Amino acid sequence: MFISWCKSAAVPILVLTGSVWAFSVLAAEAASIDTATIEKNRKANEACFACHSAAAINKPPRADLDLGKLKESRLQPEDFTPSDHGVMDCRQCHGRGYDDFPHSVTGKDETSPCTECHAAKVLRLEPQFNGSVHAKAKGLKEKFTCSTCHNAHINIVALKLKEPHKIVAQDNHGCLECHNSDETFAKFSPDGEKTPGVKKKRPDIDTIHEWLPNTRLHWQAVRCVECHTPEVAAGKMLSHEILNKEKAEKKCVTCHSANSSLKTRLYRHMVKDEQQKYGFTNSVILSNSYVIGATRHPLLDSTVIGLVILTLLGVLAHGAIRIICAIRRKENSQ
Amino acid sequence: MSTRIYLLPLWIRIWHWTNALLIVTLAVTGVSLHFADPGLPLVEFSLAARIHDIAGVSLVVAYALFTIANIVSGNWWQYVPKPPGILERCWRQTKWYCLGIFKGEPHPYRVTEEANFNALQALSYWGIMYVVMPVMLATGLLFLFPQFAPDRFFGFDGLLPVAVLHYLTGAAIMMFMIAHIYLGTTGHTATSMFKTMITGWHED
Repeated sequence: MFISWCKSAAVPILVLTGSVWAFSVLAAEAASIDTATIEKNRKANEACFACHSAAAINKPPRADLDLGKLKESRLQPEDFTPSDHGVMDCRQCHGRGYDDFPHSVTGKDETSPCTECHAAKVLRLEPQFNGSVHAKAKGLKEKFTCSTCHNAHINIVALKLKEPHKIVAQDNHGCLECHNSDETFAKFSPDGEKTPGVKKKRPDIDTIHEWLPNTRLHWQAVRCVECHTPEVAAGKMLSHEILNKEKAEKKCVTCHSANSSLKTRLYRHMVKDEQQKYGFTNSVILSNSYVIGATRHPLLDSTVIGLVILTLLGVLAHGAIRIICAIRRKENSQ
Repeated sequence: MSTRIYLLPLWIRIWHWTNALLIVTLAVTGVSLHFADPGLPLVEFSLAARIHDIAGVSLVVAYALFTIANIVSGNWWQYVPKPPGILERCWRQTKWYCLGIFKGEPHPYRVTEEANFNALQALSYWGIMYVVMPVMLATGLLFLFPQFAPDRFFGFDGLLPVAVLHYLTGAAIMMFMIAHIYLGTTGHTATSMFKTMITGWHED
């Protein structure tokens, strides 16, 4: 489906012509959207939130609403408004079939694909996604769209979120929504490699990560994708090639060392602020997490190593002098 | 004429060697974790982390048992440097380590059942066992249960002071261990103190 979306959205044409609408949205992404338009969009969205919100489900504004269906499509304005797409009018993506109620039955299928605005990015990420475990498993690729992992209604780009624990919570939620739920996993699950015709059962997330010490602490401090994506060059965006458990990073020192890979991953957007605060290596990481092996104090380390070496040399020298003196005493007594 | 006294009961010897084994294990794995680097392969990181956790908890248990046994048996009194003349005895002992030992002079202090340690030993053991060790164990436990550590510390993660204290106290115990093993050779013979720690009998 991911690819068919790209094709159906006539990506090459979009790239060449640069749709005016897409341009306007991209401009909004760059925060250049004017406040009057934002206010206009917000007002327009109020009509949607009148039904598509928890408040409306608790107190339906009209009697003919299908509350079961509505529950699946509810969204809180306070979640949507600060999100990356929060300045947009809902109808910019949900353009057709949503002007009237009841909405058109085909409305959902006619939701604009992400490529309509993010064409260039999708073209760049597509080869990475094609190498991903989500594309390689039989029958899985067709079920995957951007929104399978990225919640377009809520997600905020890392650069804007800034605080690493918020980035971690947001991004891991995307993974755990399927990988920590049998029900959701079953919707996407391909056939087992050794059991054709029988869907692969969701492996228990704790069991498959048993090798990782302090597993739950890791999940609070770092994203699944820190280990489940290949290394990229410093400053580059994280790869969309999601690695399976055989290929995923298992060398702890990749993060737990002075040259920590976290600098090009979770803390990528903060690395430019690195100032070795109070003499600590990777102090931007230390501002959020103490990562043993990565957040060291070189001066303190040198002092400790020096003292241990001095202690060793001290006892060796003392022992050597003792031996020499004992030999001399023995010779003198003879 | 040499004298022979039964100095160390079995529980102290078992505790001592358990403690020794655990501290060596913790030192090796601790160095592997703190100085983790792809170019410095000591013990593999995740293995070191697991061993360090198990050995660390074992050390806490050993310390708790040691403290209880110390109270029950009255052994804690051995660690208290007793007046009068503590400073004078410390000085005499220091002079012996710095000069007398090289001249083959006899120990300035004679071990008795009532007082196993010379003044310097009592002071350093007291400092290590009752000040440094509890800080190292407490910070180690906080590492295991970080939810009890402070949230923030001067704009850094609250685990930072815990980690630094754990590191420094661990390093102090490592340095103590090096000196302790070496000073074990300064008995009546180079191996007599090690034998005492195995058999419980002191000879001089």
